[in-house]
Amino acid sequence: MFFHIVLERNMQLHPRHFGPHLRDKLVSKLIKDVEGTCSGRHGFVVAITGVEDIGKGLIREGTGYVTFPVKYQCVVFRPFKGEILEAVVTMVNKMGFFAEAGPVQIFVSNHLIPDDMEFQSGDVPNYTTSDGSVKIQKESEVRLKIIGTRVDATEIFCIGTIKDDFLGVINDPGAAV
Amino acid sequence: MSGEEEENAAELKIGEEFLKAKCLMNCEVAIILEHKYEQIQQHSSESDPTSQVSQVFEKSLQYVKRFSRYKNPDAVRQVRETLSRYGLAEFELCTLGNLCPDTSGEATALVPSLKSGGRFVGDAGDEKIEKMLNDLSLIKKFE
Repeated sequence: MFFHIVLERNMQLHPRHFGPHLRDKLVSKLIKDVEGTCSGRHGFVVAITGVEDIGKGLIREGTGYVTFPVKYQCVVFRPFKGEILEAVVTMVNKMGFFAEAGPVQIFVSNHLIPDDMEFQSGDVPNYTTSDGSVKIQKESEVRLKIIGTRVDATEIFCIGTIKDDFLGVINDPGAAV
Repeated sequence: MSGEEEENAAELKIGEEFLKAKCLMNCEVAIILEHKYEQIQQHSSESDPTSQVSQVFEKSLQYVKRFSRYKNPDAVRQVRETLSRYGLAEFELCTLGNLCPDTSGEATALVPSLKSGGRFVGDAGDEKIEKMLNDLSLIKKFE
């Protein structure tokens, strides 16, 4: 789920940047350092939308660098256990399939795929129902529920299920009902 | 990690920080990211042609464009206004706006927390949910 939140960060700036464009240099450094990163607490920082406040700079003893506390607003993506969302299938194999929702990768194990769907290997590996009416393959859009999340240094990884009601392949709204 | 073992979006247990935060639907994020992308394109053609957006940004932009139910900014605004009338939590509002369930049965399966808190109790509650979903589909029809 995407959120719009306010975060704070202490930015260190080398004296060579001091001058009339100090604020701009600080903001570009903030964007370069923070956009695209990921933390367990806030999820992925997708984009910084504004800088709320830049506090007074504090000169570090001995180095001359100055630390500025910066408060900024940003859009983050944070997946939650129990959350239901839509994703695109990126890879299918006999263990299950991988899907992507924005910056997050989700794995759905074959144990959490409905029993009436079987894995079919071949050029385009897929999971299909016995009557062939529903198929999950690369680029399919599915609705899944996140049942677990794991955070490592640079990203969040999730496991999901499509075994509950109202989950599974999303019907193309253009197709007949 | 305190509290992590209890995390469960189905019961709105997402931590106080996120319960109080502003949640964004995919269609709203699409508007924000597209605007930012245009700004960056303009800026980079002037000064620094190497300034690129991060992979996280690209993937998120592609994702929200693909999974936005409403494309028109006015419709997006109307969706938020309509859903705000039903006393939903931000997280519930955005989940409904993203998934657009057809029936109250689907809505309560996707957002189980709707049934707690005494807001949508019994048959009257289901009717209220149906009305809410109807209002949403009208916006889509006239988008």
